[in-house]
Amino acid sequence: MDKMAEPIIKSRQAQKEVNGIFTEVVCTEFSNYIFVTLTQYGKIGTLISVTPDSRSNDISTPTFSTKVLLGKDEPLTHVCAKNLATFISQEAGNRPVLLGLALKDSSIDTIKEIKDIIKSCKVW
Amino acid sequence: MTEILNGSDFGGISVHNFSEKILEQVVHFHAMKLNGGFFLWIGSAPVLSNLAVSMSSKYDPMPLSTLVMGDPSNTAANSLAQRLAKRTKKQVFVSYSLPMTDSSLSLLVENRIKKEMELHPENF
Repeated sequence: MDKMAEPIIKSRQAQKEVNGIFTEVVCTEFSNYIFVTLTQYGKIGTLISVTPDSRSNDISTPTFSTKVLLGKDEPLTHVCAKNLATFISQEAGNRPVLLGLALKDSSIDTIKEIKDIIKSCKVW
Repeated sequence: MTEILNGSDFGGISVHNFSEKILEQVVHFHAMKLNGGFFLWIGSAPVLSNLAVSMSSKYDPMPLSTLVMGDPSNTAANSLAQRLAKRTKKQVFVSYSLPMTDSSLSLLVENRIKKEMELHPENF
């Protein structure tokens, strides 16, 4: 058996209680995607891809497209995904983000706290 | 409404990496154990090329499987996810990101996964 010392895929995870709910974050780096699992169920839940829109030359605020790949496609999912993943994509050199979202609580305070947990799991 | 606690013995998400030299190339495996399922990436470079999801249904002995990302003409991820879902009775996410889909290679890759599942069932 050939065991490699360093795994080719870099990942970091954190667990924290957010508003009384056990919350887990796992960030995994791929060369073409940052895969982020945010869960209060221990499951991947709804899978959303967040992709930066290609722009020609303007320097205005970048825009992002969200697409629900698996799960319930509702407006709040897109809002949460964009809110959570935009900064990741920008920090990761405009890489698309694949987001697994399974939250019991999608309140703005929870989203804010989860963003802080993501920041502690930087793999990019 | 009171919070319904999950009765399973799920102890949180865990990540497990392993690799093996198969047919003159090093194949890397990245597994993420979830509540009632797992995510498994297979590749030789850190690229996320596709993603398939499979889970059992009470209406069909063969688990249902779908490709949520990647080229639909490449069935490797889909069929591997389906076979692993059948074997484990869990929800399975598979990314088969090896550059070529050689059938002899995929057979050896699948055998390597089965071996890991036997040796370390706690990681899946």
